[in-house]
Amino acid sequence: MWRDLGLAVLVLLSAAVESNSTSPPGKPVLLSCRSPEKETFTCWWEPGSDGGLPTTYRLYYERERLEGVHECPDYWSAGSNSCFFNKTHTLIWVDYYLTVVASNALGNATSDIFKMDVMEIMKPNVPENVTLLVVETEDSPYLHIRWEHPRNTDTESGWVTIKYELRIKQEKNNKWKEYMSGTQSHFSLYSIAPGGVYTVQVRCKLDHGSWSEWTNSTNVKVPNYVQNERSFWILVATLSAIPFMAAMCTLIVKRENVKQCVLPPVPGPKIRGVDFHLLMSGQSEDSTNALIINQNFPLIVGWKDQMEEYLIVTENDIGPPSDASHCQKRKKSLIIPAGFCSDWEIQCKSTHIQNDCAGGTKNETGNFPKNNKSLSGESLSYMEPSKLQKQQCLGQNFVNTEATDPSPLNYDNAVKPFTNSGYVDIRKHVENTQEVNVKQVDYSRVEDVNGDNVFILNNKNLAFNSSGYMDFQRQEEKLSEDYSRVKEVGSNNVVVLQIQDMSADTKNPHATGAHKMGVCTELINSEYIDTIPAPPLM
Amino acid sequence: MPGSIRPVSVVWVVLVCLLFCSRLLSVGAAPICTNAQAGCHALSLANLFDRVIQHSARMHGISNDLHSEFEQYFLPSKNQIGRVSRNCHTSTIFTPNGKENAQRMARQELTEVILKLLVAWRDPLWHFHQSIAHHHDFNNFSANKALEMSDMVHELRKGVEKVAEKMQMMGIISNSVSSLASPEALLPSDSAEWRLMKDYDLLYCFRRDSNKVQNYLKILKCRIVPEHGC
Repeated sequence: MWRDLGLAVLVLLSAAVESNSTSPPGKPVLLSCRSPEKETFTCWWEPGSDGGLPTTYRLYYERERLEGVHECPDYWSAGSNSCFFNKTHTLIWVDYYLTVVASNALGNATSDIFKMDVMEIMKPNVPENVTLLVVETEDSPYLHIRWEHPRNTDTESGWVTIKYELRIKQEKNNKWKEYMSGTQSHFSLYSIAPGGVYTVQVRCKLDHGSWSEWTNSTNVKVPNYVQNERSFWILVATLSAIPFMAAMCTLIVKRENVKQCVLPPVPGPKIRGVDFHLLMSGQSEDSTNALIINQNFPLIVGWKDQMEEYLIVTENDIGPPSDASHCQKRKKSLIIPAGFCSDWEIQCKSTHIQNDCAGGTKNETGNFPKNNKSLSGESLSYMEPSKLQKQQCLGQNFVNTEATDPSPLNYDNAVKPFTNSGYVDIRKHVENTQEVNVKQVDYSRVEDVNGDNVFILNNKNLAFNSSGYMDFQRQEEKLSEDYSRVKEVGSNNVVVLQIQDMSADTKNPHATGAHKMGVCTELINSEYIDTIPAPPLM
Repeated sequence: MPGSIRPVSVVWVVLVCLLFCSRLLSVGAAPICTNAQAGCHALSLANLFDRVIQHSARMHGISNDLHSEFEQYFLPSKNQIGRVSRNCHTSTIFTPNGKENAQRMARQELTEVILKLLVAWRDPLWHFHQSIAHHHDFNNFSANKALEMSDMVHELRKGVEKVAEKMQMMGIISNSVSSLASPEALLPSDSAEWRLMKDYDLLYCFRRDSNKVQNYLKILKCRIVPEHGC
């Protein structure tokens, strides 16, 4: 009995030991499949418990439009617990049904069916050869990132379209910034901070598949010297700004001087010989002085003496002056003193002179306006004479005309300036070459006239000489005179006249009605008695 | 002053005229010409390809989004025991499933395949949109996407036809009229098969087919006009 119990216990123990060590394998699990380039794919599974015994795993697949169950063609290329399908075994756009069977001595275990289409499991490898380059331009540097397409992917036939994505991080921040690059395998990042360290990662995807893993980080440091250069220029700019500001301040403070220097005042018009300021502030006398200087007239020394020199009235029979120079001289001489006069008087005098020179017989009043006009053409360019002054001139002219004889006479007439009344200073011209009978004259004065028209002569002062004659002051017009010869002088103061036929200038004495004369015709001397036809005494 | 305004105004007028003329000339290059009309500046083949490729990419994106939305409402069939047979109605059309196969295929064949696919999906997508619009489970956003997807298939087909015409003109592909004249003839006889499919399966199939179209166009482009973008 004891022996049976012991045997039963032994069998139980051995059975227990055996069951702990071996068991059929656990169920494997298919994890995922992946196709990196749309031409091959790989699947991985996870094995279950192996049951203590060596377990084998097999992968079987069924495919759309393919009869039968097929086993994995390659268990080793992709590592353990994987199955690699090469190009010949890969079809796109067909469904694959995969199962993994684990088997050991004790049993099998089959995984669930895993359905897949290569189109859906695309996940490329990571991009390769990511290179960073800091490109230094004049304005600002930028970061140029370049990479290559992942290995084994065919980008030339158009079978797959790869799209890239990258992310950049600065050393200071922990935040990634993502950028899409599309199908390009390069990227440029602008506005980078000098002296900063940048980290870049890139990934890609095929068509509408999954993104690949990120590449390993690639770092680059942006050089710092650009900033130094900039700071140098900033320093230079500030240093140069100080003298610039100082110059501006001086300019503003001294803007008047600057203005004078840069924009000199335009000089006003200058007339040669005239002091403008003197004109502005001076008296009328000075102004006229200024005007005189303008006309280049010679200086006037003393007008009075000259006036006295030239104020001459001459009696002569000379008609219109033949001596032009003589006339000219007169004209000139008159102009000079006339310069002292006012404007209009100058005109007047010169016109008058012109009248004389031009033709003495002309009506001078009539010629005045004409000469006025001719004068206006001359250098004297003054205003028209005022009426008052004109009248003065005319009045002066009139005075002058009255003084002149209708028969040609040359008068040097000058009107004393600055007075309204004109006068004629008549003086005998010493140089007059005309023949004037200037003779020594003996006078006998008729003292009394008797009723019988007897002349009583006063012989006091009577001095007879060879050519004595009686000259009575008479009017100048009278040229014809009556002469009679005294024949005898009686005791009773009786003059006996003798009628005698003389030259042309003797005439028969008029015998008026009441005029009786005892005419004794005895000539003592050839003496003449100038008789003045007296007005009727009775 | 008036004297100086006149030449200035004349210069202004001339400048404005020049600007307008240059504008007109540049605008003339924009419209696409059909049958090489006289005086019409046509787009280059590369440009045409780019346009259709962009269009197909957008179409695939929309189908992808819609499929993701549908997965929330419908349990995925991954957990179902056994193999789930899903047959798209376009599975009868022979399409290259690998890069080498696609590259090995002739250009004309590839163009035909694209056109067949596009033609095959015109009606199913429209019905899909109708069913989604009436279903109260889906919001308007999904319905709009379905409608947009349907329109895009239609326009993409026209675009690819134009590309094919241009290629025929340029002598890249031979003039086989049968492939383009009546695309409906390309459809298999049991074209009504799609009516039996569920909406989710339709979406699944269309997502796959739109990806095919996009890929094939890219391959064609990089083979014929391998300028920028390959």
